[in-house]
Amino acid sequence: MPALPVPAFPPPGAIAEFSDRVVAHDLPGLPADRRAEVVAFTGRRIALLPSPMRLGVGLVAVGVGVLGRLVGLDRLTAFLARRPLPVLGEYLRLVRSLAFAYVWDTWPYTAPDGRPGGERP
Amino acid sequence: MTAAPEGPDRGPGPRLSADVLIVGSGAGGGPTAALLAEAGFDVLVLEEGAMVRQGDVAPFSLEQMDRQYRAGGVTAALGLPSIAYTEACCAGGGTEVNSGLYRRPPEEVLERWRTDRGLVDFESDELYRICDEVERELSVQTVPGTQTPASEALRRGAAELGWHHDEIPRWMSYPDGTDARSGRRQSMTETYLPRAEAAGARLLTDHRVDRLIMDGNRAIRAQVSGPAGTGTADFAHVVVCGGAIQTPALLQRSGLRRRIGGTLAVHPTVKLAARFDEAVNVVDDVPVHQVKEFAPDLSFGGSASPPGLVALALSDDWGRFGRAILDWEHLAVYYAAITSEGRGRVTALPGLRDPLVTYRLTRRDRALLNRGLARLALLLLEAGATEVYPSYRGAPVVRRSVDLATLQATFAVSRASVMTVHLCSTVPFGEDDRAAADSFGRLHGIRNVHVNDASLLPDAPGVNPQASVMAVAIRNARRFIESVKR
Repeated sequence: MPALPVPAFPPPGAIAEFSDRVVAHDLPGLPADRRAEVVAFTGRRIALLPSPMRLGVGLVAVGVGVLGRLVGLDRLTAFLARRPLPVLGEYLRLVRSLAFAYVWDTWPYTAPDGRPGGERP
Repeated sequence: MTAAPEGPDRGPGPRLSADVLIVGSGAGGGPTAALLAEAGFDVLVLEEGAMVRQGDVAPFSLEQMDRQYRAGGVTAALGLPSIAYTEACCAGGGTEVNSGLYRRPPEEVLERWRTDRGLVDFESDELYRICDEVERELSVQTVPGTQTPASEALRRGAAELGWHHDEIPRWMSYPDGTDARSGRRQSMTETYLPRAEAAGARLLTDHRVDRLIMDGNRAIRAQVSGPAGTGTADFAHVVVCGGAIQTPALLQRSGLRRRIGGTLAVHPTVKLAARFDEAVNVVDDVPVHQVKEFAPDLSFGGSASPPGLVALALSDDWGRFGRAILDWEHLAVYYAAITSEGRGRVTALPGLRDPLVTYRLTRRDRALLNRGLARLALLLLEAGATEVYPSYRGAPVVRRSVDLATLQATFAVSRASVMTVHLCSTVPFGEDDRAAADSFGRLHGIRNVHVNDASLLPDAPGVNPQASVMAVAIRNARRFIESVKR
């Protein structure tokens, strides 16, 4: 049973764009270089998802990308953060979970809005 | 051993052969390999994950998730809600990454399995004698000295309420110190796998068994993929020990589907973060106390609490809870686990590398999770927590016991982060028409395919299942040796 060539799906650009907006919304104080690092991490982890989950996330990512173009990705992200919808909300939650885990695993003294904190020993 | 015929399934990768092929090297595969090799069988263990030695990665870190977990630790059983779970993918399997807590299977659980599933020669005395052996082999013991503050808080809260609690022993040795954090995990790579190799078994990591090739009611060969490409492994017998997700997935990919994969059982958990005046956080260890006042329905314990996981526990209502992360050294994460009546399914889908995993909680499960979270919050208030942050959207900050009514009124499983780590029962053994494997793990109707891991357990035992898995695996391995040598 040959495996389908799914690694190119979901489209990394759509995931990265959405992740960037989610992180910017939730952690507005996170410096741009750190945000880029977090977005790269979420992209890597989503690419590693088990194939059925990856396919599902990919479909949602494409849908969110299309909706984002229609209403603006920032507006859509803010709306989803306020009113978590069943499937789209799960996508946002996945991205947020990965991002938060990475931020505080990497920079434990980050402030709640993402501003770098004093690195205590 | 029996020579397998040449066929079209051979690739450019490795060409391997053994009397017994063992797929997976965790709590089921490790002891099976050791016992069979010591009994004189030519044993080959194929492990999909890498060999990562203890100390190479920090416990409970993202790096550990990258190197020792499947999919970087991001796996979920889909449903309403989806349940996040983790699966190890490394030499030694889950024994390398889990909490190391050891609970013998309760007598009533063994009795239920024996009578309800018609298990043959499944005597508690024998299983507990095997537990004695395992406990010696893995140095199972309680912490000889100081507990972590987060564990002590759990004990204190239960004691204040008069709830039954105890310290759970772990498979740890304490050669260099006497506090909880000085332990060295006696995982499979430290114990049974070296024993297996010393007796001549070969362990090949980074090699995945894609499927078994069947000839009637016998498996004759495994299709294997590794760094050198796709190859094969010939065998006379195969013992599949890939865990409750990968074992049924492999069997289904091999065309074996009867009663396989449809009865996934887990212990669903909900979490909260509790804040104390004193620093309680220990980034690289977990509490060893558990509260069993409401067992088997409900159990309370402590989770790993590095700052990344504390942030995760607070993230469901970050707008209100987020400020607490500034004080993460004073926070620890705890869980309420239930014995679920729900069931899940593992389904290998054509053309996809990984299986689809689903799970459905029952109404009773949902009510129990609600009750469990409220009781856990109460316990932590009694332990001295100043604030408790339940992990669901719209949760109140619990500061006094009066806030628990709000918690119970606003809790909805669909808004919660539900997780689990104990997965089992996808290839249940027994002699009735629900069983996929016989009383000793051989698939019904198939001559030489055996299962020997958590998949066999008829249901979730209500306690950390590794002791149950190991006791059953050793029992089955001994029966295999007797029956084949006879």
